[in-house]
Amino acid sequence: MISDAQYRSAADFLYREARLADEARYAEWLALWTDDGVYWVPATTDPAADPERHLSHVYDNRARIETRVKLLQTGHRYSQEPASLMRRLVSNIEVTAAEAGELTVESNFILAELAVQAKHELHWWAGRTTHRLRPVDGELRMSRKTVVLVNAAEPLPNLAFLI
Amino acid sequence: MIDYKSLVQDDRIHASLYTDPQVFADEMERIFHRGWVFVGHESEIPNPGDFVTRRVGTEPVIMVRGAEGLVSVLINRCRHRGTMVCPADRGHARTLTCPYHGWTYDLSGALLGVPYPGGYGGFDKTANGLPRAPRVDAYRGFVFASLGPDGISLAEHLGPATRLIDRSCDLSPVGEVELTAGWVKHRCEANWKMLPENDSDGYHLGFVHMALFKTIRSQYQRVVGDEKTIRAVVRDWGHGHIEIDWSPGYEGPFEWLGGASGPAVAAFTAALELRDGPEITHRRLMEGPAHALIFPNLFLGETNIAIVEPVSVEECVHWHTPMFWKGVPEFNGRLLRMAEAGMGPASFLMPDDLIVAARNQLGLHAQTAPWLLLGRGLNRERVDALGRTVSHVTDETTNRGFWHHFRAVMTET
Repeated sequence: MISDAQYRSAADFLYREARLADEARYAEWLALWTDDGVYWVPATTDPAADPERHLSHVYDNRARIETRVKLLQTGHRYSQEPASLMRRLVSNIEVTAAEAGELTVESNFILAELAVQAKHELHWWAGRTTHRLRPVDGELRMSRKTVVLVNAAEPLPNLAFLI
Repeated sequence: MIDYKSLVQDDRIHASLYTDPQVFADEMERIFHRGWVFVGHESEIPNPGDFVTRRVGTEPVIMVRGAEGLVSVLINRCRHRGTMVCPADRGHARTLTCPYHGWTYDLSGALLGVPYPGGYGGFDKTANGLPRAPRVDAYRGFVFASLGPDGISLAEHLGPATRLIDRSCDLSPVGEVELTAGWVKHRCEANWKMLPENDSDGYHLGFVHMALFKTIRSQYQRVVGDEKTIRAVVRDWGHGHIEIDWSPGYEGPFEWLGGASGPAVAAFTAALELRDGPEITHRRLMEGPAHALIFPNLFLGETNIAIVEPVSVEECVHWHTPMFWKGVPEFNGRLLRMAEAGMGPASFLMPDDLIVAARNQLGLHAQTAPWLLLGRGLNRERVDALGRTVSHVTDETTNRGFWHHFRAVMTET
């Protein structure tokens, strides 16, 4: 049974994570991860996708999440230089499991991205996100974030920002 | 009629080659719909009835393994009203049925049946199958098709560049690669020719990929130092096939894999030695797989395979998948993670390439100074004993190899 307070803390986490990603606040976004974090963006919508057998867009362990952020921080990551202007809506939040101190939180998102690096085009992204959240020193952190894009298997434009 | 001889000169090319819709139409006809084009790999369709859908140029096709095991490339368009028969990326089928009026074809494209045949008098089913690519051939599992009925053979098209495919395949102890991880497709807002040119451009690495070089060590580190200390080379193999060879700069085995050691590597090395002996095995492990473009659309991207798909004069798609070596599944996890790091929209390399390509495309629309320089390295390239033109890795020997073949194809009578 999920308490209202647990639900509220999970939703607050999701909104904050979305805002930090939207605003390219890379160091603060990185600090939301646990030390064993796994960030997965499959290249298919097939629920049977297995990152050990199938190619993904992103399948980062904690070290690679940090590399991803460091690239963005160099000022030479031309696919995000300047950073896209973004706002995302996070909705349909459901806490689907609570076990061993971790919450599993599923939600939908729509993201408007103005890709200002070349053609200044507006890209729309949408998908379903699953967060696994764990309290660390009294604060929620994410140990896993999985983003299944509705168009995961289609030709995608650059996805060098934090989805 | 576009005068390709004047637009493609030995040391410069005209920007309209990337921006003129008529050039794109001519390329589809002459390069993609007449010449040999890579379609897919036999390992993607291992069993009878397995299919994948692709494009040959702008023609939608189905690459399917028939009941007898033979691979066909069929045009994905019903003979009756032109409906796309097969909308899925991949799948398995016993027959191919058009959703519109139920016309049904077998896996070789032959028309099996038409509902309510009483409405056709003297209908010849044999003349109304799915259109087939008239020429399909394969080299080491890499399937190529030509939509033209005549022309040079695949063997003539590939020429000595089969050695590049060999270099990648021979790293498997059983000599086979498997493309079973699925493809990622990356949209690029630039003309398709920028991808083969950029994939074989050794000059841009330290600039476009500066973020990566400032962040982590990679196997490409040796090509961003002083010009004179860089030992990697580019090669023009003829017929538009062009290569970057990093290996002269490698100092140890497995540098191309970012280093490797442990029991899996020992077993892998032993399996290769059993087949090839220690000397050849050592050379293979030093050199690694090829980094080369097989004209016009197959990129052997070291541990990845990529496809260049033209969409329109202003847009293309870069497909990629990791190349698994049959017989060494223990490397697959590593190869997946390398593919995700190197290629695709969220990777650490290609997004930067493709945004620069998009900016390149925007710049090419400026009419003021329409000629692009292609002469880098003309002062130092040389022809080696095998007839390949070789030069410093930062030289435009590869671009010239691509464009001179382009000119030959676009002007042949």
